[in-house]
Order: sequence, then structure tokens, then C-alpha cells
Amino acid sequence: MDDTMAPVTRNQAPKISPFLEPGKTTKVGSLAILQLSRDNLQPVYLQAPSGKHDGYAEGAVVNTRYGSFPHSTMIGVPWGSQIRASKVDTGSRGRNNKRKRNKSDDDGKEGPAAIPEAKTEPESTPAEVIDDSSAATKKVVADVSGFIHILPPTPEVWTSSLPHRTQVVYTPDYSYVLHRIRARPGSVLIEAGAGSGSFTHASVRAVYNGYPTEAERKGKVYSFEFHEQRFHKMNKELKEHNLGGLVHLTHRDVYSGGFLIDGKSPEAEAIFLDLPAPWEALHHLSRRNPKNPGDKDWVSPLNPKRSAHICTFSPCIEQVTKTVSAMRRLGWVGIDMVEIVNRKYHTSRERVGLNLSMDRGVNNSARDVDEALARLTEIETRFREHAAKSKESDDEMDGDDDGGLIKMREKKELKGGKRRGGEKKVKVDHKPASPESFETPASGVPLWMEGRLITRGEPEIKTHTSYLVFATLPREWTDQDEAAAASRYPVVGEQKVIGVVDKAARKQERREQLQKATGNRKARRMERAAELAVTAEGTAPEVVP
Amino acid sequence: MHSLIRPNAWVGLKLPSGSTKVIQLVPDTTISLGKYGAFPANLVLGRPYHLTFEVLDKTPDESFSRLRVVPPSELHAEAIAEEDEAEGNAASATNGANQAVVTATEGEEFSLVDEKGNVVARSGREVIDDSAIQTLTQDEIEELKKEGNNAGKDVIAKLMLSHTALDQKTTFSLAKYKLLKTKKYIRRFQVVPIDVASFAQWQLEEKDASKIMDLRAEMFGLVGCWGNVHFGGEDSMMDDPHSRTDQGEETCVPVQPDELKGRWLVVDDTCGMLVAAMAERMGVLYPKEDDDEEPMVPEAKEEVKTAKPTQNSVAHENADVEMSDAVPETTVPERPKTTATNKKQKVRPKGSDFVVPLSQTNTLTVIHSTSQPNLSLLNYWNFDITAPNHPPHPLLNHLLNLTWLQLLKPELDTSYSTPPPTASAEELASWKPSRRGNFHRKRRRFARTRYIVDSTRAGNFSGLVSASSMDPISILKHTLPLLSGGAPVAIYSPSIEPLAALADCFSVPRRTAWTSGNVPETAGKSLEELERWEGNEQFPLNPTLLQGVSIQTSRARRWQVLPMRTHPLMTERGGADGYVFTAWRAKPAEGRVEARGKFKKIQPSSSRKAVRTEEDSTPAETPAATEEDDSATAAKRKRADTLPSLDTEGSSAPENVEAGDVASPTKKRKVDGEVEV
Repeated sequence: MDDTMAPVTRNQAPKISPFLEPGKTTKVGSLAILQLSRDNLQPVYLQAPSGKHDGYAEGAVVNTRYGSFPHSTMIGVPWGSQIRASKVDTGSRGRNNKRKRNKSDDDGKEGPAAIPEAKTEPESTPAEVIDDSSAATKKVVADVSGFIHILPPTPEVWTSSLPHRTQVVYTPDYSYVLHRIRARPGSVLIEAGAGSGSFTHASVRAVYNGYPTEAERKGKVYSFEFHEQRFHKMNKELKEHNLGGLVHLTHRDVYSGGFLIDGKSPEAEAIFLDLPAPWEALHHLSRRNPKNPGDKDWVSPLNPKRSAHICTFSPCIEQVTKTVSAMRRLGWVGIDMVEIVNRKYHTSRERVGLNLSMDRGVNNSARDVDEALARLTEIETRFREHAAKSKESDDEMDGDDDGGLIKMREKKELKGGKRRGGEKKVKVDHKPASPESFETPASGVPLWMEGRLITRGEPEIKTHTSYLVFATLPREWTDQDEAAAASRYPVVGEQKVIGVVDKAARKQERREQLQKATGNRKARRMERAAELAVTAEGTAPEVVP
Repeated sequence: MHSLIRPNAWVGLKLPSGSTKVIQLVPDTTISLGKYGAFPANLVLGRPYHLTFEVLDKTPDESFSRLRVVPPSELHAEAIAEEDEAEGNAASATNGANQAVVTATEGEEFSLVDEKGNVVARSGREVIDDSAIQTLTQDEIEELKKEGNNAGKDVIAKLMLSHTALDQKTTFSLAKYKLLKTKKYIRRFQVVPIDVASFAQWQLEEKDASKIMDLRAEMFGLVGCWGNVHFGGEDSMMDDPHSRTDQGEETCVPVQPDELKGRWLVVDDTCGMLVAAMAERMGVLYPKEDDDEEPMVPEAKEEVKTAKPTQNSVAHENADVEMSDAVPETTVPERPKTTATNKKQKVRPKGSDFVVPLSQTNTLTVIHSTSQPNLSLLNYWNFDITAPNHPPHPLLNHLLNLTWLQLLKPELDTSYSTPPPTASAEELASWKPSRRGNFHRKRRRFARTRYIVDSTRAGNFSGLVSASSMDPISILKHTLPLLSGGAPVAIYSPSIEPLAALADCFSVPRRTAWTSGNVPETAGKSLEELERWEGNEQFPLNPTLLQGVSIQTSRARRWQVLPMRTHPLMTERGGADGYVFTAWRAKPAEGRVEARGKFKKIQPSSSRKAVRTEEDSTPAETPAATEEDDSATAAKRKRADTLPSLDTEGSSAPENVEAGDVASPTKKRKVDGEVEV
């Protein structure tokens, strides 16, 4: 079905990034995120099925622990679709390509290693060309089990799946940062330390209000990366994601080089610094040359007409101290430092009870005191019966050796305990729920509704990511500006008071308000009264409800 | 936006006490800050935001206080001086580092310097004038405050001086004391714009947190990001059907599903706070403003003021003046309402009644449980959904609202199901203007309701965000079918319980049971029918419609950063933590029946048990199980026996095989093969 789809979609190469407008269905060449399990996401650039690829008769294939997924099964489907695994011959491919044995093993391992391979192979491996030119793509047969979901790329899924290059700024941090630095559609944002690109993608989405044209300034991200390799990878990534027009990536050391683009100001109003020493870059982000305020040639990278909001992202408190100190000296106000603690919760059903199934995850101990009591009573009764029996059969023991009895009881309980709480021993109408059947167990409650619903934190938590320092730099305000504003808004004889007023004034205001309200009502009433030709003017004010 | 303070803008005034005062800056009025003084509003109009002003003493020949812009160097003088001192001490403890500090702060430092320019107090080393060791009485302080006192600085200085035991205080307690007195007496304020971040913080911390369901800044970030709310594309307006007044509903423009893009569903019980936050992310909250110094002509100011609509809400003085001539590009020109209120606007050719002035892209659709949505907080952004003749505002074309009744049973809704009135041109001409107006209004309302309901029911929304006191399960039951594939869902709740119950609807055992065909009601139903699954007791929602279900919370911990005194704040606001439920809309695969048959076949086989014991598998060997509910780490796996968690329940054989991340595909094949036997 996808063969016909491919050429059509390729002609309409998505101009808008799939991050911003993914469209309704998956397309050839587009980035898609495969969701293997909840937190296991894998990015894939979908390739058109074109003959054999990398030894696979089906074209490009993604191998996961949940089966093999030829790209052809994932193209032209609605986003969010569940994709069944296909029967893909992985074995013979390995045998045929003995010289590449090691490589195919890597493939089998799946994980991030498969991604770059999937997208770079076509142009980078000449060894494959002979294979590729052979017969048409094999028809795909669905496998009996295994599936994945295919998700449209968003900064969130990209952040959880992206190839790590540096420490990643995760969603809890960047969502808060973007909110605080007022990154909105139309904003111009400076980001220094592009790193792995998670913040870049999130900030593009935040400032995006259309692709910029010659005539109109639109929201844009100016990103700076010092590390050359990361810069090139990032550049490639941005192109692949169609974000080229929205992100201007520069390879530069901003400590010495500053933030100007070809000597011109990007006119930014939001700044995010993920640098080891933000204080060394801060002096570039001033309104005037901090060393020489009279310097006319100095160009500020900030928007001269708006307040600038900054956030720096530093893991150590010493960095924060230095950053804050530099900010204070450079005139930033509203300095605020926070750290974000994010926690994820898993929900599950806590199943405790003696009569529950023996599934894993079930705590086969007493659910409450009553259940414990019932069980103890039963054990006691049985034991007494047993003791009575043995007494009958074994009279010479006299049955008064308490120590012996206790030992026997303990032994029995121990035995029972070994067999999962001894529920086999104590047959309290327990029916071992057969794992295969999903029919409701004896209790009448289906498995998935049994027990108490609980939430529990994830097993491992990030207790510290980084400290976030926020600050604001107001726009410059000169005496001339002040004089102009003063002449535009001259102080006249102000009458009305807004805000905190003393009691007398408040009372007076209230009185006036009431007067106004009754006045209106009075006027309306009078109108009506006039219509009805009734002279009710004298009584009107008293009828106020 | 927010470059200069515009007349009639809502602003926040941050006071030294840490509190914020939200007021509307009406020109030619006096703003009173209580004990911090009063000043004419005109003295801050036209000035930039985020500046700190100081209320000066009245001069003898003026009846009002003038303002002074406090330079940042002065705001931070104390901290900088301390830093310098600390550095100086560290470098050379003996030399005159203190001298430098004094000169650096001379004349500027307010609380440290008395009239003679001496440092009053720093760590108790300085000698305090003997005559100053006396306690001021309350009356004396009042007296001081009255007799013009250099914006409160004199009071503070005198208080510091008069503290008898000042020299016995440590640096820390001294700083604290100073700060306390400064907060109380310094007459300063900072003007901040009312945007979502600052307004929500004020509403949360100082006004009424319950009104916005305790939504904290962290939550706005999470909900917005996980809901993937962003600018949804350039406006695309509906065509004018050019329907004549004697034509009925047949001439309404039908919904074009392909044109609908970038639309988000919102369920909002936060009086519009969530809508405002999402609108801000989509770029439709603030009117487009020129950054030019002054767009306003004084005449226009007057004109609009007289034309301002009366609003019955908190912000009844919300005069929308600042937008009068900066007409947002997004506003439909033929909107009759705006021409009625704003004479300045050019009279443009009127469209027919059935023109719906709504964009098909970049919209928010609010579903509300009362007949009118409660979006009262939007008044602070000069938008009033109840105003009949609204001045231009971007939200007008991008905010759609409908009731749950209109969404679910439109035929019962009067405004949707009553056909529009028709009349010939001659009839119309014979009517009184008021009747004619009513006629047009009814027709317009009909077209609008029709369009909103039909387009919403057409579905294909880009996402759902919700902060509602209603049960999220019931919300999702009716909104899940409206979401396009892969669309994110982000639901905020102040407490975790409703979200946990919701997440439980998508638990692995439930999904497994569903997909393995143990729900008799689902038999024979198509995928489309199952998407609109009405729910039963055991399966309130179709558990296959969401993927990646997760619940999280975030909390910002605030720190004080001062030289040698950096630590987290001792107390912060408590109350609701706030949780966010996130997931993506999934499109279950077709042909599930086939898979189920195969799995049923293998289930009773004895070989299965062997596999299980060998690979430590669990019963749920179905497609649903293979996706494994969470990142079952090896560590968790080990503890699975002790932790009674259902998460482990769903883990499948392949998952286990790969747990160590080293298993080869051949091994996996083997396992699969055995399963199939």
C-alpha cells in the first residue's frame, strides 16, 4: 500500500518542520519516534521502500526487542498508529554477509546504534550497492506478536530519545525555563551551549510564529555552540528537522566572541545560557559596553525596546554565586534562583490478602486484622484437632509438653510459609487463578480491578539537575526618554485614587457608587414612570431593593 | 509586547514587602500604595517595565510625590559591598579594605550610611555614635515618616542607629534586621507587566489560589509542553457564503476538515487561567503591539474611553484602550461589533450573516459545563467573552467555546438546533432597527454555533489540555475520539488521586484483558466503534486509546543567593502539589482478532509453562504486554518478588530476555518459536 504513497509524499516535501506541524500521517523522509515501551523511544527517519537494503529484502528495517519493523509498514499511516511487527529474515542475512558479521550483531542489539545506521547507510556504504540494486522490495508479512507505536516528533519525545552529546536539559527544566523567560511566539531567543539540542527544539516551538520572510521579523532562536563536532551534528539535525529557517546556529566561543551575528544585533529578549562559566559571557549581554558606557560602536545583542529575560543553567552552587554576582554588577534585577525537582509516579494495584491469586506482585499476607485472626483461628483449630488425634493414637506422650507443641506448630507454619503463606494448607476457598484465563476470579473482581490503587515514585529519581538563575534587564532609559514621557503624560490635577485608600475615601467612593447605581435606576424608573404617566418620582428612591 | 507601560494597562507593582499589587494604570489618577506612598499614574505611563521607582518626598510647591528611577547599582549596592568586603578580607585581611567599601557606597548606600556618610552598621566593627544608642518610640517613628524622609531611608538609618544592641548583633542577624526594616520603610516599587507568569504567581500567592486550582508556574510549563501547545499556523479564515437574509442554514459554509489545523481542546475550571496560558503559548493572548515609542494619539484615547463597554466583572474598567489603533492583524475586518465601538476604524464592506469570524487554525476550543464559560480572568488581558460588542482582540478569532451539551447532544441545544430566522430584504427594510439588529444577531449566532459544534465534532484536534474539577475519566471518554493520532494529552490536577484512577484505566492488565478479547461487549465492533467506546464498569475507557501514560509533578525550590549566606528558603507556599497526567493518543492496529486467535491457541499448551519457568515469564503474552508498562530496570526486576506492583505483572518474555541488553536476536527467535508451538 505504501509503494504508491511514497512518490506522492516525497514531492510534497514538508516545508514546515514535523516538530511544528507533523501532518496527519507519516511521510517518507520525515522524522518519526518509535515508542517501544513507555519510556523507550527511538527516533527514525522513514525511508521509502526501494529494493533491498542492508541485506533486508523488505527495505530499511528497524529491529527492536519487540520484533522487526520494515519502514514500509510505517509510512503513510496516521500518527499514533500501532504497528505490528513483521516477519523479517534476520538470520540468513547475517549468514550471507559473513564479512559483516559483527555489524549485523550490532543491529540485532537495537538501541540507539541502529538509528544513525538506518539513516546514513544509503549513501555511506558502497558495499551494499549490489544488494540494493537487486529485486524489488519483498512483500511484508505480519508477525504473530509484537508491536510498537509511531509518534510524531515533539520536543518532549525528542528529548527522551535524542542521541546524547552532552548533559541534556530535560522537560521539567526547560518547560519551566521557557515559561519564566517569556519565550513566546515572536520572541527572539539566544541559546548558548546548544549541547544535545533538547532545549533548542523546545525553544523553537515556543518562539515559532511562522517561518521568517525578508519582510517580517518572526520568532527565532540564535544558538551558539563551541564544540565543533557537536556544532556539525546539530547543524545536520536541524536541517533534517526542517528547522533551518528558525534556528541560526553559530560555531563560536561566546565568552570571547559575544552574541552578535555578522556584527549585527539579533535583538533578543530571552536568553538561556547553558555554559560552564556564564559570568564570562554576561558582559556581552548588556545595553552598553560595560567597560566603557560611552562606546558608540559597541552593539548590544539585546532588543533595545524590551526587557530582556535571562536564565542560566549551572549544576554547581559556586557557579551560581559567581553568576549572580556578575548579574548584580551588570544591572540585572529580579535575580531569582531556583532548582526544579521533578518526580514521576507509577500507579499500580497493591494486592494484599490471603485469598488472592498467586501471581507475582501479590502479597500473600493478611489483608487486615480480621483476615489474620481468621487464619490464626483456623490454624489453631486444626492444630488442636491434630493434637487431639495424636493424643488418641499416642497416649503415652500425655500431650502436656508445650515446648514440643510449639515446635510442631512452628514447623507447620514454616512449611506453610514456604508454600506462599500456607494458603494451600489453609484452604479458605482459594481458587488459584489460572494465569492464562482473564476470567474473573472467585472473588468476582477481575484481576485488573483487584486490590487498592496506589501511586509510587519511580525507582530512581533525579534529585538535582542544575540551578536555574533568572534575572531581568530593563531597557535603557535615558533622561531624554524620561523628558519625552513626562511631556506626553503631564501630571494634571489628579482626582481619582487607585489602590490603597484610607477609610474615609473608601466610604466616599462607595457612597458615590451607590448614588450612581440608584441614580441610574432612578432615571430608568422615571422613564418608565413617564411612559405610564404616573408621578412616582417621590417614592422611587425608597423602593431600592 | 510589554515594552512600555501603556495607559490603562494592567500592571503589577512589586512592593518592598514582597507583595504585588495588581492595578490598572488609568491616566490622570493617583496610585496609592498605602504606607509606601502615593504618586500620579502619569509618572509611570510611557516608561519601561521592570524599572524600580522610588517615591520621593513632596516638594513644598507640588501637591504630589515625584518618582525617581533607582539604578540597579543602588539596588544591589549592599550585596556588592559585602562581596567586595569578603573578597578583600580573604585577600588581605589587614589592609584597609573597609575603606574601599565605604567610598564605593558613599552617598548611595541607604541603610548603611547615616547623614554624615558614615557606615552605620556592618558586622559590628564600626563604632556607633554613643548618642545614637537610644530606642526610638513608635511616635517618634511616625513623626519621622511624616516629615519627608528621603523615601524612607532616613527612618531606616535612624532605626539602625537607635538600636541599642546593634553592635552585639552578628553579621547575619544584622543583615536580617536591616532587611526587615528596609522592607517596612523603603518607599520603592517595581512595575511588572501582567503576563501569565506574573499574574498567575500573584493569583496563587496573594489572591485566591483555589480560583486557579493551585496552578503553579511549573505546572503551566509542564502542561503546555506536554500538551505540545504552540503556534498552530497562519490564520485561515472561513469563506463568505454570501448568503442572503432569506436563505437559511443550507447556505452555511460546511466544515472543511482538511483546513482545520493546530487546534487544541481545553477544559478549564480555572476561570480562564489555563486558557490564558495556552493562548500565550499560541501567540493569541496579547494584541499585536508596535514597539514604537508611542502609538497613541491623545484624541483616540478620549474617544475610546467613552466607547468602552460596560463589563460586569472584576475588571469592569477594562477599557481596552491600548488596542484601539493597534488593530490586531488577526481580527476579521468585517466584524460588525468592532466598527460599532470604534469610530476610528474604517467602515469596511459588511459580510453576510453567515460569515463566521473564526480562524480555522491556531485555535483553542473550550468545552464548559455551564451555559457560559467562566473565563473571567481573561479580563486582565482585556478580553471579555460575554461582551457583545468587543473591541479587537486576537482571542476573538481564536477562542471557540461550546458546552458539553452542544458537543454531545447538539440536537438538544436550542441555539444549535433552532433554524435561523429568514426574511426577505423588503420585510427587513420595514422593520424597526432594533428588530433588524436582533434578526442579524440571531443569524450570526446560529452560524457561529453551527460552525463551532460541527468543527469540534469533526475531531482531529492537535492536543488536549485540562485543569478541571470534573472527573478526568469522564472528560477523556468524550474527548479521546476527537483527538488526532499521536496527539498529546496533558491533564492537570491539584491532587494525584483522580489522575491515578485515570492512569489505572490504562493499566497493563486492563489492556491485556481488552486486547485478548475477554470483554464480550467489544466483540464484533469495528475500531471506529471502539474509539467511541461508551465505557462500562470494568473498562471506563478503551484502554488502547492512550500510550505512554505517565504522572508527574514538579516543584521549584527557591534559594537565597547572598555572599556567604546562600541557602534554600526556609518556608515556601504549601498546599496542593499539583500533578500532570500525560499520554499520547494511539490508533490501535486493525486485525487484532487474528492475533488474539493465535494467542488463545497457545495459551493452554503445556509447552508454554516450560517457557515461562525457563525465562521467568508472566502470563500476559499478548501484544499489549510486549510493550511493557514502564522502564522495568534490572534493579526493579530483581525486587519484583518483594514489591507487590502490577507493573511487573505485564512484563513479557521478550522483555525479560533483553533485560540485560545483551541477548542476541537468535535467542529471541528461539523463545518466540517455543511460544508458538
